[in-house]
Amino acid sequence: MDYRKSEQMSCKMGKLPSKAPLANPYVPFQMENPARYDARKGLIRGTLYPGLDLPFRGMVNTKEKPPTPKNELQAIGFALNELALYLDTHPCDSEALELYRSYQKKYHDMMMKYSEDCKPLTHANPVNHKSYTWLSDPWPWEYAANKEG
Amino acid sequence: MFLYNKKLQYPVKIARPNPRLASIIISQYGGPDGELGASLRYLSQRYSMPFDEQKGLLTDIGVEELGHLEMIGAIIHQLTRNLKDKDIENSPLAPYFVDHTVGVYPTAASGFPYSAASMQVKGDPIADLCEDLGAEQKARVTYDNILRLSDDPDVNDVIKFLREREVVHFQRFGESLQQLREKLNQKNVYCMNPSMDL
Repeated sequence: MDYRKSEQMSCKMGKLPSKAPLANPYVPFQMENPARYDARKGLIRGTLYPGLDLPFRGMVNTKEKPPTPKNELQAIGFALNELALYLDTHPCDSEALELYRSYQKKYHDMMMKYSEDCKPLTHANPVNHKSYTWLSDPWPWEYAANKEG
Repeated sequence: MFLYNKKLQYPVKIARPNPRLASIIISQYGGPDGELGASLRYLSQRYSMPFDEQKGLLTDIGVEELGHLEMIGAIIHQLTRNLKDKDIENSPLAPYFVDHTVGVYPTAASGFPYSAASMQVKGDPIADLCEDLGAEQKARVTYDNILRLSDDPDVNDVIKFLREREVVHFQRFGESLQQLREKLNQKNVYCMNPSMDL
């Protein structure tokens, strides 16, 4: 069988019209309102979207992080970031926008609570303490800062 | 401007130091397809993007890559903590160690220091977004290769996360490229450079 013919027949996307624009790279658009993991599962899988969850050799993280305040903040912050990238290319998906706004609120509340506990995330976080607390806990890259999680 | 957030994007908790793994993973800090190159590429390419959608996406992904650079730094730092001379002596980290001790230096695993020659800012949005698609694939393969070479569950937990982010970024860059094309001349998207001629 002619090679090109067999390739056309096995092409599951169907044939292009004869004058379609060629020589263009193409990635199929993710459909609006796609299935989603919750924030904690999304964090360990590295994506909120099961449709994009494409592991190497079936190697996946299955154990969710324990719900410490820092891990919860990371999970909500991750979901927020993932939704932001999605909205950058799907700005009209109102359901995603609503979820993004609800995560914004959650993140803000959790961040304020976390920093009141003398753990400022940024220099802009007010802290309930007399002394300068920026230098006081382990730095994020150190083992000690991550051992609870 | 940038405001430092005193947390990692994803926890890095490595129980056992391992100089051999550090000597491999350093490539994602300063290697040709590493996180330094990724953040620098996207945060530099955004200036010549003609439309808000691509400026926004390159900014958001570029900032996330800076967070990944910090996570790779954390992995290297934790893999090389509390090492004794004898741990390093017979390990593949020895050539790195003689130059950098256990400081975190942007270099490829093969020893080539970080070079901006491994990335491009072409100043044409189709060319730049196509480079970004390729860059995400190359970074994904580097993480695949790290997973082939590492059997440390604490390291792999983080590497699987970082690898998956490359898949998501590839998707978003592809979508963004499609959105860009829809705004250009449908008969010939190459009839001019939208960074210059719109």
